Amino acid sequence: MFKEFIQGLSITFKHLLPGHSTTVQYPDERLTPSPRFRGLHRLVPTQDREKCVACYLCPTVCPAKCITVESAENEKGEKYPQVYEIDLLRCIFCGYCVEACPVEALEMTAEYELANFHREDFKFNKKRLLK
Amino acid sequence: MVTLTIDGKQVTVARTATIYDAAKEAGINIPVLCYAKKLLPYGACRVCLVEVEQMKGRLIPSCTTPVTDGMVVTTDSEEIRKVRKTVLEFLLVNHVVECPVCDKGGECDLQDLTYEYEVVANRFQGEKFDLPTDEVNPLIERNMNRCVLCGKCVRVCDEIVGYGSYSFINRGFETKIATAFDRGLDCEFCGQCVSMCPVGAILPRPFKFKARPWQLKEVDTVCGYCGNGCTVTLGVKANKVETIRFNDKTGVNDGNLCIRGRFGYSYVNSTERLTTPLIRKDGQLVKAGWDEALAAVSKGFKAAGKNLGIITGARLTNEEFYLLKKVAATVGTTNLDHSGGECYKGVTEGLKQTLGVTASTATFPQVEKADAILAIRSDFYETHPVFGMVVNQAVKRNHAKLSIVADKRGKFGKLPDARSLVTKPGLELNVLNGIARVLLDEGLAVTDGVAGLDELKKALAGFAPEQVAAATGVTVDALQQTARELAAAKNSAILLAYGLPYTAYSKELATAAANIAILTGNAGREGSGLYLCGEKANSQGAIDLAVLPGNQGLGAQAMLAAAAAGQVRSLYIVNEDPLVSYPDQGKVEAALAGAEFVVVQDLFLTETAKQADVVLPAASFAEKDGTFTNAERRLQRLHPGITSPGSAKTDQAIFQALLVSLGDKVVYTGTEAIFDALKAGTPYAGIGYADIGLQGAVWGGDHLTVSKQLVPVGGGATVDAPFQLVTGSALYHSGTMSTHASGPNAVISAPYVEFGREDAAALQLVDGDMVQVKGSGCELQLQARVDNRLPQGVLFAPYHFASAGLNRLYKGEASVAVEISK
Ligand code: SF4
Ligand code: SF4
Ligand code: SF4
Ligand code: SF4
Ligand code: SF4
Ligand code: FES
Repeated sequence: MFKEFIQGLSITFKHLLPGHSTTVQYPDERLTPSPRFRGLHRLVPTQDREKCVACYLCPTVCPAKCITVESAENEKGEKYPQVYEIDLLRCIFCGYCVEACPVEALEMTAEYELANFHREDFKFNKKRLLK
Repeated sequence: MVTLTIDGKQVTVARTATIYDAAKEAGINIPVLCYAKKLLPYGACRVCLVEVEQMKGRLIPSCTTPVTDGMVVTTDSEEIRKVRKTVLEFLLVNHVVECPVCDKGGECDLQDLTYEYEVVANRFQGEKFDLPTDEVNPLIERNMNRCVLCGKCVRVCDEIVGYGSYSFINRGFETKIATAFDRGLDCEFCGQCVSMCPVGAILPRPFKFKARPWQLKEVDTVCGYCGNGCTVTLGVKANKVETIRFNDKTGVNDGNLCIRGRFGYSYVNSTERLTTPLIRKDGQLVKAGWDEALAAVSKGFKAAGKNLGIITGARLTNEEFYLLKKVAATVGTTNLDHSGGECYKGVTEGLKQTLGVTASTATFPQVEKADAILAIRSDFYETHPVFGMVVNQAVKRNHAKLSIVADKRGKFGKLPDARSLVTKPGLELNVLNGIARVLLDEGLAVTDGVAGLDELKKALAGFAPEQVAAATGVTVDALQQTARELAAAKNSAILLAYGLPYTAYSKELATAAANIAILTGNAGREGSGLYLCGEKANSQGAIDLAVLPGNQGLGAQAMLAAAAAGQVRSLYIVNEDPLVSYPDQGKVEAALAGAEFVVVQDLFLTETAKQADVVLPAASFAEKDGTFTNAERRLQRLHPGITSPGSAKTDQAIFQALLVSLGDKVVYTGTEAIFDALKAGTPYAGIGYADIGLQGAVWGGDHLTVSKQLVPVGGGATVDAPFQLVTGSALYHSGTMSTHASGPNAVISAPYVEFGREDAAALQLVDGDMVQVKGSGCELQLQARVDNRLPQGVLFAPYHFASAGLNRLYKGEASVAVEISK
């Protein structure tokens, strides 16, 4: 029985040896998330506007109901999002919005440092999302 | 009846049904694109193909194939699905698939079918359409790149609306729907084609990119404009009416609307709406709270007592009318009325003395089956457009003979079998008398159980067809034919419109029409009817609930005169802008100046409201709960879709609050309670609030029992002048309210005077010229329009616009002699 204890604990102790820790010394050290990580959203720009055509599919699919879109017509007669806003405090980072978008105008970036001081700062409007 | 088997189910349907109808009855859904319940079968899209045992070897379009006894139908099989999928692939060859930016997305039949039949790839390749969009008008956008050539727009505009904007042009792949000379759409903008298009090829522009269909809350209510009483479904998003949705499940209008109902909703969202009560202080109207305003109003009314005059418009709900009557009773006045020129006298007096009723005797759907129709004063297209569509269908589908007695030619006068009996304004009465005379002379008249025959005969001595023809310009032949058709008809309909701009000869015209109804046997016969159609959404309700001068009370005209003379000390004007809409502006001005205390309750700061001492902000139809009674006696429910702006209240709430501050103790728990209270002693007695279902409830049943008392009426008189002006309602507007709505304004936003071609040529006028119209001691500057509706010497100007000042000229007569100069 004693042998089994040693065997089991050896695994535990192995993890304590240097080089075996998964803890990262944030913020001195930062991880690179995997390519499919779901972080902050980004609206994909095209030459002179956002790619988003304000089809309302992302606000419709969003389970957290945190996307606000208001469509309008631009000078060229195209449909565009006059307002596009995501309330990240309510977002659950499920990525459905990205999946729903028929024109691939929305993606999720590796950006995960989203802490902030004011509630308003968690509302990402079109300008911030286009960055 | 025919019995057949569909997907193993036995179904028994009428002989005239198609396979599609039968399947629908059995609860089996067959996909369709080009089928619509209200249109004739067409068979353009081939999406509805089914298998029929007896017709093996090919698939059969279910929407055009009539049922036969013993038919065995399969609506779904591997093969059928394959063929339907192929049909969809064909449709998608040239279709520009841009659902993300297409406003139809979410309720597009093509999109739904493509999804259902999993058309994920297309075996066929072809060039995508690249046609320019048609945006020449402000209300309807057409994008032919999305068209599936189902022909519904073509058919609805022809079969139902009777306008005929569209047609297929070109052949093969080039086929498309176009307007005349492919110039783009310029029509009546009723929006029927918008509601019929199964895809996003025809869309309402005011709604462009506003919302997705699934975001809209749908609220069924009743159009707030005319007495036709169409049911409308509001599309509400974020407490704003964004559009009117297609709905053919409610009411009797089959989802048909006119431009006012379809595009005239925007005034409810207007930023110019009144949001707080206003009280005049030091000569200025300033914002005030409700408590202060109500205290001022009740103090003023109490001081006036029986010298208070109450004038209301006819767009209040029945419940509101009842409360308003209570206000009158509590204050102790009997001066109450609901229309300026007492145009409703046709119903209250004309019909009363002849048929013994005060409403239309039958319902709208019966007109569709009529064999002969007599339309008086207008072909009903301008005044009650959707009733006009019923007339059109009667003529087109049932080959009804239509005769129109009016002072101008109308759209329906061009229909096959239609006859226009165009007279000088004021002489319609003579024509009607002429028709009655023919009925008697030719022995066509029904005289059993009819009273007053001898007197009528005597009175018609001067109305021999030849005499009438000489006086009115209508041919003897036309009079005789009309009389004969009406007499021969199994079912006939006689239609007469009334309203603020049609005050002259109201009672006489209705009496003459009723005489014809009696003589032709129309009166009291099932399937036939005499229809007197009010101008406003609840004109009939106002009559049913007797919003009329009470015992020793004054009518609107007398009230205004008494106010000017200082006898009526206070005026309460609800939901009406008499300075603009009542005949004789000077009289209204004098009344407003003469009354010590004027209260106006309305949605906007109208011309009249600007003169008031207290202005109370009221609510639109879209904010109200209650009932309207339409021109065929149908009570229909309103449902609030949005809340009122600011502290504006519904008229119901205002009256309740006012009653409380006047000392009335009764408080109602809700609209239903008010309805229950108002029923006693009215025709609504037998109707429960809950019984007013999707199709409403018609009081008195489909047929009113009538008496048959002929009453002689004399002829009318016309003015003898080179030019005479008539006023009336233009198709695009209704009363003064629609001038606050961007839809109707997009088509007609300013007053005008219309000339016939001959007059325009003689005066060397073209569309858009400014002319001076001089008459009744005043002069108006109006823009000229040229059309081919008016006979020589007759001009027409709509009465809706405040800026026209038309009622300085028009004082309630049939027409006004005018001089025209450039
Ligand atoms: S990630 Fe999910 S919760 Fe967040 S905005 Fe997109 S759909 Fe909504
Ligand atoms: S018409 Fe229908 S299928 Fe075509 S783009 Fe519009 S929504 Fe999509
Ligand atoms: S809006 Fe009405 S009149 Fe105009 S094309 Fe469409 S159906 Fe015809
Ligand atoms: S425009 Fe619409 S309604 Fe007209 S044919 Fe094309 S798809 Fe049908
Ligand atoms: S204005 Fe009259 S005809 Fe037009 S939609 Fe409204 S109720 Fe119907
Ligand atoms: S629905 Fe039957 S052919 Fe189009």
